[in-house]
Amino acid sequence: MLEIKNLHVKLEDEDRVILKGLSLTVPKGEVHAIMGPNGSGKSTLAYVLAGRAGYEVTDGDILWNGESILEMAPDERAAKGVFLAFQYPMEIPGVAGLTFLRTAMNAVRKKRGEPELTTPAFMKIAKEKGEKLNIDINMLKRPVNVGFSGGEKKRSEILQMALLEPTLCVLDETDSGLDIDALRIVAEGVNALRDKDRAFLVITHYQRLLNYIVPDKVHVLADGRIQKTGGKELALELEKSGYADFTGKAA
Amino acid sequence: MNVALMKTKAEQALTEAFEASAAKLPGSAAVKARRAEAIGAFGSLGLPHRRIEEWKYTDLRGALKEALPPAVQDETALTIAELIVALGPLAHVDAHRIAFVNGRHRSELDDLSDASGFDIATLGKTLASAPTNVADALTKSDANGAIAALNAAFMTDGAIVRVADKAVLTKPLLIVFVRAGSARHAVTVRNFVSIGAGATATIIEAHVVLPGSTPDAQSNALTEVSVGKAATLHHAKVAVDDGKCVHLADWDVVLQADATYRGFQFSSGLGLARNETNVRYAGEGGKLDLSGAYMARAHEHIDTTLVVDHAVPGCESRELFKGVLDGHGRGVFQGKIIVQPNAQKTDGKQMSQALMLSADAEFDSKPELEIFADDVVCGHGTTSAELDPDLLFYCRSRGIPESQARALMIESFIGEAIDKIENPELHTALMAYAINWLAHTARG
Repeated sequence: MLEIKNLHVKLEDEDRVILKGLSLTVPKGEVHAIMGPNGSGKSTLAYVLAGRAGYEVTDGDILWNGESILEMAPDERAAKGVFLAFQYPMEIPGVAGLTFLRTAMNAVRKKRGEPELTTPAFMKIAKEKGEKLNIDINMLKRPVNVGFSGGEKKRSEILQMALLEPTLCVLDETDSGLDIDALRIVAEGVNALRDKDRAFLVITHYQRLLNYIVPDKVHVLADGRIQKTGGKELALELEKSGYADFTGKAA
Repeated sequence: MNVALMKTKAEQALTEAFEASAAKLPGSAAVKARRAEAIGAFGSLGLPHRRIEEWKYTDLRGALKEALPPAVQDETALTIAELIVALGPLAHVDAHRIAFVNGRHRSELDDLSDASGFDIATLGKTLASAPTNVADALTKSDANGAIAALNAAFMTDGAIVRVADKAVLTKPLLIVFVRAGSARHAVTVRNFVSIGAGATATIIEAHVVLPGSTPDAQSNALTEVSVGKAATLHHAKVAVDDGKCVHLADWDVVLQADATYRGFQFSSGLGLARNETNVRYAGEGGKLDLSGAYMARAHEHIDTTLVVDHAVPGCESRELFKGVLDGHGRGVFQGKIIVQPNAQKTDGKQMSQALMLSADAEFDSKPELEIFADDVVCGHGTTSAELDPDLLFYCRSRGIPESQARALMIESFIGEAIDKIENPELHTALMAYAINWLAHTARG
């Protein structure tokens, strides 16, 4: 279970407070969506969960399965099952996708006390899981994300997620830059990973993604706090009324 | 004030060393006369220093505190097993081989059993019997200047390779120079490579050290290359040493019409290195790719200086150099592209990049374009950067620990240059060198 308690976050280098007492609980097996206007703190929340530098937590805590992760390095969090699908996946020229995936998988397995995968075993898994996401093995022989279209990059993120088998999946604006076909493939990939032992936090600006990844709960984030929580129908309401009601409170 | 007036200790020692060893250096009377002229020329030039524009960032006169005695008639012998140890990852490259130890040919280490399509001779023997015209050809070079003069004065051996017209060499030729032993000395070698019209060849020039040898060493290596009409040469130089060696290298390349030359220079573990390359197009349609990867740590200093002379129309040049600098490591890049007035339709692109792993590292980059023609496409770029923290975070968020993520990223940076190597075994070997280097660098 993910428990975010009264989380206050400011930028390390500026006096700008982004999250102002955010509280949220996502039980295992559930998919929660976070929707909110630009600048509400959605991406900050994603980055703070994954442990990116540059943010200072001034108050509150984040517990994953009862354990605070705030002091953990990003790779330790990954080993504990935390995974962030990036809004803008990075390109790594010169590192073949397969090398990257195998390095990551074995690093995580090692920390989880599982045996490292042999090359043939890894190749088999990568091939199988890649095919489900329409990712050809030849694509993975190329440098990570280099020259990939927006859709290919997002599918590649979901493949990483499928291979690393995280238990907390945070998806940051996974729908941005996707056409409808790419969106469907990505959503199918995510849905295939839905599991009673896995929690999802799906961050999005638009309701569209939630037609494909149907959430158990929807939270509205504005001005650094959860302003409203409801069922999946809340997303549809927001699509009609917009975020004006919530941003108004920001003043 | 004449700054070259006072001779440094090293300059004095070089002149004296020549007098002491001249009788033992290989060469006919004609060669000996050319050697004497060369040391005379060096005497008036002195070691290059920072007030000479081309040596602004590499003050050899200031840096070379001591001139080591030349290795002449060196008797050091190696076993094949020792040669393989010295070759390290390069030992896995399936190649014809000619081997030199401390600047002297060691035929017992050669592997030329199934060689065909090319002739090979050694410089030492050729010098010994050279009549005047041959002596002239062997001692003069396109490169003039103090380093080439020292090379002509002291050169002991090297490979003279001639690939026959239309020959296609399936295996690379490895010319390996090993330094070995506890004696501190300077090794001076020169190679001549000539690729016949329409031929294709890969030549790897390796300068390596037998582990356990003294780290103090100096080497001066000059290679003259002529690529014939519509011929293709892949030429790589791999210089890997123990961190103190002073390595002065010069390539002089002439491309005939429609020739392709792909040169690559890999340097690591060199105390002070100067890799100088001069390329001249002698016919239209020539294609050049000159690239390299280098790594410097501690107070190591790697200088890449190149001059590409587009003397004729319609030629292409590409350069990509990448350096990783740690500690007080320093990288120098000077890339001059000259496009002569008649060299229309020239297509030139140059990129030089350094990755700085430490706040004390230094990178001096000077791209120069001298364009006298008006219908050309030329560009250059240079960057220096630290490891991208966002990329580091991306890797770590996938569970890769920081030290491993850093290594992966440095590998990816340098790998982009090494990707220029088309021979897969050589590519693997160079990546292995890079990874070995990183294993001693990446911090947790």
